[in-house]
Amino acid sequence: MSEILENLLKNPRIWRGQARAGSSGWQGLASGYPKLDQHLPGGGWPQHALTEILLDHYGTGELQLLMPALARLSQPQVDREDGKEAGWIAWIAPPFEPYPPALKQWGVNLSRVLIVRPRGGKEALWAAEQALISGNCAAVLLWSNELDDSASRRLQLAAEAGQCWAIAFRSLKALSQSSAAALRVRLDTGEQGGTDLGILKSRGGRPAVVRDYAG
Amino acid sequence: MGTSRKPPARSREAAPTPSVKSRQRERHPTSLQLALTEVPPAAPSLQSVIPLRQLWLCVYLPALPLEALIDTPEPAAVFEEQQGVRKILLANAQARAAGVGPDLAVNAALALLPALHLAERNPVREAQVLRSLAAWASKFTSFVCIEAPSLLLLEIAGSLTLFGGIKALRRRIVRGLDSQGFDAGVAIAPTPLAATWLARAGRRVCIRDPRNLVGRLGPLPIICLGWPVSVYTSLKGMGVTSVGEALRLPRQGFAKRFGANRLLDLDRALGRLPDPRVSYRAPERFTADYELNEEESDAKLLLNACRELLVQLECFLLSRQMAVQHIEFSFFHLQIPASSLSLGCVQPGRAMQHWLDLLDIKFDRLELPAPVIAIQLCAGQGQQFSAETDVLRFNREDGRRQSTSIAQLAERLSARIGDELVHGVTVVADHRPQYAWQPRSNFEDIPHCANVPSCQVDSHAPELLAEIHRTNRLVLQRPLWVLPEPEPLLSESGVPYYQGPLKLLEGPERLETGWWDGDGIARDYFVAVNPAGVHLWIYRNRNQDKGDWYVHGKFG
Repeated sequence: MSEILENLLKNPRIWRGQARAGSSGWQGLASGYPKLDQHLPGGGWPQHALTEILLDHYGTGELQLLMPALARLSQPQVDREDGKEAGWIAWIAPPFEPYPPALKQWGVNLSRVLIVRPRGGKEALWAAEQALISGNCAAVLLWSNELDDSASRRLQLAAEAGQCWAIAFRSLKALSQSSAAALRVRLDTGEQGGTDLGILKSRGGRPAVVRDYAG
Repeated sequence: MGTSRKPPARSREAAPTPSVKSRQRERHPTSLQLALTEVPPAAPSLQSVIPLRQLWLCVYLPALPLEALIDTPEPAAVFEEQQGVRKILLANAQARAAGVGPDLAVNAALALLPALHLAERNPVREAQVLRSLAAWASKFTSFVCIEAPSLLLLEIAGSLTLFGGIKALRRRIVRGLDSQGFDAGVAIAPTPLAATWLARAGRRVCIRDPRNLVGRLGPLPIICLGWPVSVYTSLKGMGVTSVGEALRLPRQGFAKRFGANRLLDLDRALGRLPDPRVSYRAPERFTADYELNEEESDAKLLLNACRELLVQLECFLLSRQMAVQHIEFSFFHLQIPASSLSLGCVQPGRAMQHWLDLLDIKFDRLELPAPVIAIQLCAGQGQQFSAETDVLRFNREDGRRQSTSIAQLAERLSARIGDELVHGVTVVADHRPQYAWQPRSNFEDIPHCANVPSCQVDSHAPELLAEIHRTNRLVLQRPLWVLPEPEPLLSESGVPYYQGPLKLLEGPERLETGWWDGDGIARDYFVAVNPAGVHLWIYRNRNQDKGDWYVHGKFG
């Protein structure tokens, strides 16, 4: 009986949720928020994959969510387990000016920040893909309204190829669209004023809601 | 070989070079007497006077008039007007197969082969091609000398070790010429004249020992010495047809009859007299043209042409240990003014492939208003090239990760998007929020930033890190987003509105500074939140219109 079951499980068409976390090599990148890390497979952000963050209003803590992880990636550290040098953080088509003094307060190494302001949505996607596959960037942040299913697949593949963390910010309207992202989260304002984080999809994990993630 | 040897001799006659002219003048009696006094007394007393062991490689391009103008697999020929008759000067192999050859009248050639491509000989173009070849050849040696109209002389004694011996070097040069579409005769000898004569005679020989010169030059026919035809005919009349026979003539008589310079030529060729040459020096700024046979608008073809120009640029820069930061392509059209395309890179570069990648990106977006007839490449001011030291990586599995540098990425992005739209950032010590940072365009590390206390992070304690940042936020309250310009907010009975009434959470933080440069501020900053949960950084001006609120940033 168990032999039959094992044969069945070998079939590549059968998808096993829990088993994938180990096999896909999702090395968690600690988010700096213990509440959130508990719910993420691998105990943190998916390092070499696409993360989508869906939100309606900028200024609701969407960057603070990433800052501890970005700060860590941008610092030159000799004891980093993978032996890599400090990575660059590319900001592609940000909606406002990222404010360097604030970034510095969060511990981001400013000499590793690259800001790109493409003229159109297609260029933004192109620039993001270039940055991802270049192999220099540790994280690529992208704001785009033109991200669709095929574009997200491209970004996901580029992130894997360049071993880079891709983060795409999208509006909540994209909720119904499918996406190739390894992790999709939505941000909402909580009742007590904090920001609630809903995990919509996470490869190898389960959907969950983290109330007031920073609290 | 006989056919291809002849035309250049005639071309010399048709377009006399300054040296030929001067030789003709020397036959004037007074200058002959002057020259006679310079004649060395006796040959046997003169042993080899070559000061240092030199080795000259001569590149002879018999078909240069044709190769400079026409590059086609179809039958083609170059013609020249001689005494009012247009005669074929050189024909390519396809045309020769149909019976078109030198000295044939153009009309007769067309009658034989109506599809023949014809072009009039263009000495200016030939000189250009020769100069660009000299620039190319200077990657093999620092001493390249152009001998008009179709010769290059390379002093290669110093290059032998670097290029792995005389055979390897010679092979490289021949292959390089071949890949550029030149049919060349190459000969090597210890004196420049000997190498020239051997190459002209079509002897692909390599003489290293000066003592062998006499023996090897002896059998050469007089005609390949490039002397005026009158000298050649009178020597022939005396029954002297080879160099060896000329050497056996009495020196005094020879000088009297044919001019001292002929004798000097022989002595220089044999290494009995020094033969100093002037090295070719290319201009310090690179400019090159590429002329297309007909108007073209095919992007692939144009890119290929640009590639050839870039290859030339690379050679030019390599030979000077230089690099450039900007280059400009001009695309010429027949009817309208030229369109141009400029490329820049973050670090001065010289690698052809690198420029080609950038060009590829930018060319996609270039809209040419008309087909292109010619392309020109101008390079900017050259800079000293400084190569970077890299570590030798053994079995490093992520070697691929470092394959491109951030500067290259930034270049690729800014080639397509625009220079000012790709930048880094840095902070400036100024309390005014709008002056507290500025973009930066170089991507070197900022040394002092990595070690500021607030940047020091314990990688093993993310919780601690989060705690630090929470407290930091309470103390300093700088938003992660700022608006390019502060925006005025609506307010109702003193309460500011931003998609709903705002609740002030923290503040005020008073910033009053900058009075000294005329752009001072006096503001009270607050942190406020709207009903949707958006945290804003808002301020009121202290001095005037106290009621007005502005939003300056968002706590993203």
